[in-house]
Amino acid sequence: MREVSFGQYYPSGSKVHALDARVKLLLTIAFIVMVFLVKSLYAYIAVAAFILLVTLVSRVPVLKVLKSIKAIIFIVIIMSLINLFANAEGKVLWSWWILTISEGGIITAINLALRLIFLVMGTSLLTYTTTPMELTDGMESLMYPLKLIKVPTHDIAIIMSIALRFIPILMEEVDKIMMAQKARGACFDRGGVLKRAKALLPVLIPLFVSAFRRADELALALDARCYNATPNRTKYKQAKLGWGDLVATLVTGVFITLVVAVNNNFWGLY
Amino acid sequence: MENSTANNVVIKIDNVSYDYRSSSDEFIARGVKNVSLSIGKGEFCVLLGRNGSGKSTLAKLLNGFIVPDSGTITVNGIDTSVDESIYEIRSKVGMVFQNPDNQMVASIIEDDLAFGPENLGIPRDEIEKRITWALETVGMSEHRKRSPNKLSGGQKQRVAIASVLSMLPEILILDESTAMLDPKGRAEVMETAMRLNKEKGMTVILITHYMDEAVGADKVFVLSEGELIGEGTPREIFSNVELVKRAYLELPVASKISLELKESGYDIPFALTDEELAEGICKLK
Ligand SMILES: Nc1ncnc2c1ncn2[C@@H]1O[C@H](COP(=O)(O)OP(=O)(O)OP(=O)(O)O)[C@@H](O)[C@H]1O
Ligand SMILES: [Mg+2]
Repeated sequence: MREVSFGQYYPSGSKVHALDARVKLLLTIAFIVMVFLVKSLYAYIAVAAFILLVTLVSRVPVLKVLKSIKAIIFIVIIMSLINLFANAEGKVLWSWWILTISEGGIITAINLALRLIFLVMGTSLLTYTTTPMELTDGMESLMYPLKLIKVPTHDIAIIMSIALRFIPILMEEVDKIMMAQKARGACFDRGGVLKRAKALLPVLIPLFVSAFRRADELALALDARCYNATPNRTKYKQAKLGWGDLVATLVTGVFITLVVAVNNNFWGLY
Repeated sequence: MENSTANNVVIKIDNVSYDYRSSSDEFIARGVKNVSLSIGKGEFCVLLGRNGSGKSTLAKLLNGFIVPDSGTITVNGIDTSVDESIYEIRSKVGMVFQNPDNQMVASIIEDDLAFGPENLGIPRDEIEKRITWALETVGMSEHRKRSPNKLSGGQKQRVAIASVLSMLPEILILDESTAMLDPKGRAEVMETAMRLNKEKGMTVILITHYMDEAVGADKVFVLSEGELIGEGTPREIFSNVELVKRAYLELPVASKISLELKESGYDIPFALTDEELAEGICKLK
């Protein structure tokens, strides 16, 4: 089976795991916003230190968090390359034909790469320490204002939860179908872009057929288990705010202030 | 009050017919036709019949997914065609399907077990108790906090059973729930169903293509082209050569061997189980 390391819950029973999912969601959003504001090297070091701290407290193996980068490494490389050549500010360091690398380009490329990497590490820490159910319940709870204007927040939450559950199952299926097509002589890694895209068609069609069949059965299973039986649905896992949530919010808040200060060279470090 | 409850009859199907129709009311296929049967509390029943004979249709009728075109079905005395009691019926008639992956909604096992009772508005503490009980019953307690993705087929299907048990059903329908499993997984699921029946008095309706799973049943029903063509103990059903042929049933291995031996001139009685077969062979002179 394909290792789907990004986003798979990693139970370790740590303090971070015990935090309220809503708090974790909001803190993660704050973290993401902050990462996109950061531009100084010192601030990046601070962000990295914070991620390391959270990783250690959450007792998720550091290697696992690092591995989550693997899923986006191509996007990172491509985006960085585009930025490397697109930005021509500052001293020109190297130039050939229409390609130029300048100081400004290098800086934006590094910035972008670091931001994407921290972004993925941050969000994967969220999913490593929060079960999909908690996550979707948390989102449902945060979407509460929408419920007042008759948005079916609970259905949305169930859809998200099911989607999260089926991602690894469908990925495994893609592997199986590809293997079956390869056994019949299909070739996915040769030829031009068009040829490769064409080779994927015999994978996509069975995948869709199977996904629809699954959806059909799933709908039946949801009904069989009394989905929508009562508007007064109960919650097995009731999220309650605790002291840990306060501490986590404070720590993150202090840290964000710190990063913003460093970022704006508040203390004149550089 | 129905007198059915007095006789300990939990399911009563009375002259039920159902056809599949398109949204424009055109006939597509016959589901079941003129089926009448009753199932007593605590019985282990097996539903047999070739592909398309109407087994799943009957299961869906019992759960109120579809309502009869004619005739009535009562579960615990409640008519399945009454809209108001549909969720009561669904919580009383637990359904487990063929593919374990397609019936789990949550990525953590205990969350999946909580789904049914949550939908029914059961209080939190009670859900907790039910989860503990259901996982213990199927022998999966140690997996409570894990993801179902890494389990074996048999384990997944046991979790699916537990997820239904958490609604505290009185009847458990397994619609080819062993079909996708390897022999070990199949044995696990069968053992679980048997135990639920023997120890908890659960009424079980098992739909299967594996005849060996029917051997231990209290009662076997045979469907063919939507009609009920046979009903009886496994011995009555499998020794009825005519019926077996008409419904295109396989025979349990032991029965097959005993009949073949008899055909080749040995004086051996009809055997349902391996033990009977062994006994019969030992008695040969
Ligand atoms: N959703 C549906 N729409 C139209 N026709 C259907 C539908 N489901 C089943 N049928 C038809 O109804 C008949 C009975 O099907 P049913 O699924 O009850 O058979 P089954 O005994 O469960 O078969 P199997 O062993 O293959 O599961 C078949 O002819 C089938 O083609
Ligand atoms: Mg069927």
